[in-house]
Amino acid sequence: MLLRASSDAIDAGADVHGAVGGATGNVPHGGLLMAYAEAANRDPEAARALDDEVIAAVGEAGLVDAAVIVAVFNGLVRSADGIGIPLDDTMLAATAEARAELGLDSYAGAANNPG
Amino acid sequence: MWDGLAVAGTWWTAAERVAIVAATRRSLRLPLGETAPDIAVLSDLVGPDGLSPLTREVVRRLAVDAGRITREWATAAIGRMGHGHYVETVALVVQTVPIDMLCDLLGRPRQDLPVPGTGEPSRVVPDGLGQEGAFVPWAVDGWSGPNVARALSFVPEDNSRRMGIVTSMYSGRHFGEMVWRHRALSRPQVELIAARTSAVNECFY
Repeated sequence: MLLRASSDAIDAGADVHGAVGGATGNVPHGGLLMAYAEAANRDPEAARALDDEVIAAVGEAGLVDAAVIVAVFNGLVRSADGIGIPLDDTMLAATAEARAELGLDSYAGAANNPG
Repeated sequence: MWDGLAVAGTWWTAAERVAIVAATRRSLRLPLGETAPDIAVLSDLVGPDGLSPLTREVVRRLAVDAGRITREWATAAIGRMGHGHYVETVALVVQTVPIDMLCDLLGRPRQDLPVPGTGEPSRVVPDGLGQEGAFVPWAVDGWSGPNVARALSFVPEDNSRRMGIVTSMYSGRHFGEMVWRHRALSRPQVELIAARTSAVNECFY
């Protein structure tokens, strides 16, 4: 939801399929950043092979930003899954269509939510 | 924040907390085809690393296999450990992982383990908690924020430290703004990375 909302705010035209490895729409360097996120999550040390390419695209500060976001969300996902956080009511309603389209309702954590 | 991992907690001693941080670092995914041990029968006798097989398995699941945590598994773990020890274990794992991962991604050495402090766990359950759908009770009285911010409110000091990490690494003071100018990546770029990270980890929330 925040990907779509923040993209709409600057008319960037993000494609939420990027969340599940699909097209990223018009997010600048979206494909590269998605590839970095995937590599960083699966093997942080191996992800460093993409460092030069990411720096060329978004600069050193952009690479640090990307690494920071992967890292902090690895804490957040464990908080959510470990505690069984149900989606906030507004989010549950606002994301129903996207969750179904992207297949997110098949994740184990979906069982923590009503309906 | 890092030194906060090594103070006496609400439920774990300082030495136990540092042992949990160390176990988080040692945690490995199970080999393909190997079944995770049954949480109901794991020993709670403390081993040479300062942790029991039960705690070690809870740490392992949280650290490297959290996407497959079910209510049934969490209920069994909480039934063995109690709410306080379970939530504080989650808190320690989720403070350790981001810091270590950032070091790994940037090719920096990981922080040395902090030196355990002294003192005893307070064992204080905060007022105003209630059961509202999560695996554990959390802040309900007067609560108006997102669920993720109260996730670990059973252990408020650790929850505060964890949210400090989240705020400093993610949004700063700009969460409610859809256009970010305070960092190198735009907000859609940040949210794309965040969304992909959540999906790779099969996190529904």
